[in-house]
Order: sequence, then C-alpha cells, then structure tokens
Amino acid sequence: MSSHTVEHLEHTESPSDMKSQIWKTFWILLAFTLVDIALYFVLDPTMFRNWVFIILGVVKAFFIVSIFMHMKFERKFLAWMIILPMVLVIFLITLMVVEAKYVDDHVNKDSVAKPATEESHDTHAH
Amino acid sequence: MANSATLTTDTRSQWGGGKSPFSISYGKLMMWIFLLSDAFTFSSLLVSYGFVRYSFSGNLETPWPSPDQVFNHFPFLHGMHLPLMFVSLMTFILIFSSVTMVLAVEAGHRMAKKEVAKYMFLTIIGGAAFLGCQAWEWSQFITGSEAGKLMSDGSIFHGANLSMNEYGPVAFADLFFIVTGFHGMHVFSGVVLNIIIFIQVLNGTFEKRGHYEMVEKVGLYWHFVDLVWVFVFTFYYLI
Repeated sequence: MSSHTVEHLEHTESPSDMKSQIWKTFWILLAFTLVDIALYFVLDPTMFRNWVFIILGVVKAFFIVSIFMHMKFERKFLAWMIILPMVLVIFLITLMVVEAKYVDDHVNKDSVAKPATEESHDTHAH
Repeated sequence: MANSATLTTDTRSQWGGGKSPFSISYGKLMMWIFLLSDAFTFSSLLVSYGFVRYSFSGNLETPWPSPDQVFNHFPFLHGMHLPLMFVSLMTFILIFSSVTMVLAVEAGHRMAKKEVAKYMFLTIIGGAAFLGCQAWEWSQFITGSEAGKLMSDGSIFHGANLSMNEYGPVAFADLFFIVTGFHGMHVFSGVVLNIIIFIQVLNGTFEKRGHYEMVEKVGLYWHFVDLVWVFVFTFYYLI
C-alpha cells in the first residue's frame, strides 16, 4: 500500500472478529423474522400485534445498518447525519395518520349512509 | 508526508484537504447521501400505503383485503392455503444474499480476490432468485383466482391490473404494484451493479487499484435494498 502507484484510501477499520459478527447478525435477523412469522399465526390481528411487527422491523433495520452497512464502526457524526433526518418521517407518519382518521370518520360514514350497491354483494373468491 | 511530492498526492486523492472528512471516502459518503434520499422515497410510498389503508378501515362497501387471503400461494402447491410462506422464503433469500455481500466486503479488506469473487457470485445468485420469486408473485397476483369477482356489470373479473382487481379497493393493487415494483427495480439495478463489479473483480481491476472499495459501495446499496424489504414485508404482508 505504500507504493505511489497505488491509491491510498482513508477509512475506518473493521474489528478483527468481523466475520463472527456478520454471522451473529445473520442469526439475529433470521430469528427475528421467524418470530414475526410465529406471531402472525399466534396473535390476533390487533393494533398491539402491528406495533410488535413495527418494533421488530426497526430492530432488524438497526442490525442491518450498524453491522452490515458498517455504521457502528464509522464516525459518530456520520451516523447522526444519516439517521437524524429520518426523524422527519415520523412527522410525516403523524400527519398522515391524522388525515387518514379524518377520511375514515367522514367519507366512509357518508358512504355507509347511502344504499348499498351491487358490489357489496360480491362473492369473494377465497 | 516526508516531502512535498507525497503531500500533493495525498491532497489530490483525499477530497482536496489532505484528510477525508468523517474518515470516509467521497464515493462512500455520496452513496450514504443517496441512500438517505432513497429512504425518503420509500418512506413516502409506505406512508401513503398506510394512509390509504387506514382511511379504508371503516369502509364496508369495498373493505381492504387481508393479506393472507391474497398472498397465500406457493409454487408447485396449487390450491393450498399457505399464507406468508412464499414471502418468508423471499425474505430469507434476501437476508442471505446480504450476508454473502458483507462477506465479500470482508474478503476485500484482506485483498482475497478469489473469496470476493465467490461471495459476489453468491450474492448475484441470491438477487436473481429473489427477482424470480417476485416475478412469480406478480404473475399470481395478476392472474388471480379461478373464482374471480362478480363486477357490477355482471361480468367476472380475475386477478388485478391498475384500474380493476378482484381483491378489494383499486388502490390495494395499485399500491402493491408501485411499492413492490419500485423495490424490485432496486433489486434489479443492484443485481446489474453486482454483475459489473463481479466482472471487474475477475479482471483484477481492484487488485491493481489496491483496494476493494467499489465492493463496499455496491454493498451499501445492496444492504439498503434488504433493509427496505424488511419494511415492505412488515407493512404489506404482516400488518
């Protein structure tokens, strides 16, 4: 690497046990996905179950970003620079949940008040 | 930095300041910025899915379908009700191809050309397998069930397109096509990039360059595609 013909790149070092960390992360992701599938069949479809799935998804995302994408070993400033803007998404979700509740409360109630159309008698294939 | 000649070389190669900001190369930082913007795009798509779905929760005329009534097929097991099984398989394929990708990056740090090539090849196979699964999933969705759905004009409609579907609201199929289609497009570009890098690895391009950073950059993109799938899986198939 000291030769002048070879380009030198500055980068943050990986830990020496990177290989075992990769496999550990793989087993964690696999286990969490299996937990997802198990809970899908075990729990009733409630808002609580949805929150469990979302939290498990965020935890899986954390492992992918920190180990697979090497973020854990980069400078902290870089990590914050990439992760903090995602807070804006929470803002968007909050706004859209409020809007969707409005649509559900007003538009759907109005349509229920109207007489049922033919489509409501459709036989579903499943 | 023993003499001015070395200093000039360093200044040119590292962002022009002699020392790269965040101890990261320019290309890698720009890949992170791109992924951040891409994350916003996918967030918007998934949030709009959530918005439309929530606004249908009290709609009794065209209720939002339960995913396990729509995505319950598995290849070669025709007519069986197997919800979640096929997408779980797709999830495992993508997670595993993410592992082989990060192993290629790790081998690149050790300058082990043969190992990088091996793991890049496995990653390409994983990506192609995922795309094949998605094509099958789409064809199932578009073809629909044998029974179909009785439309208001008396005809029976099977499957789905952008303006009609047998499963429920029009928006259900539209959002399925745009979200999984946009993700599938990302997987496809990822596979193409991986193939380009794989060929360059075989040609010894990175060995001559002295580092395998290009593998790290496509690796970042590939893991991001996996990351997005985690959320598509959660919001489309689980919730």
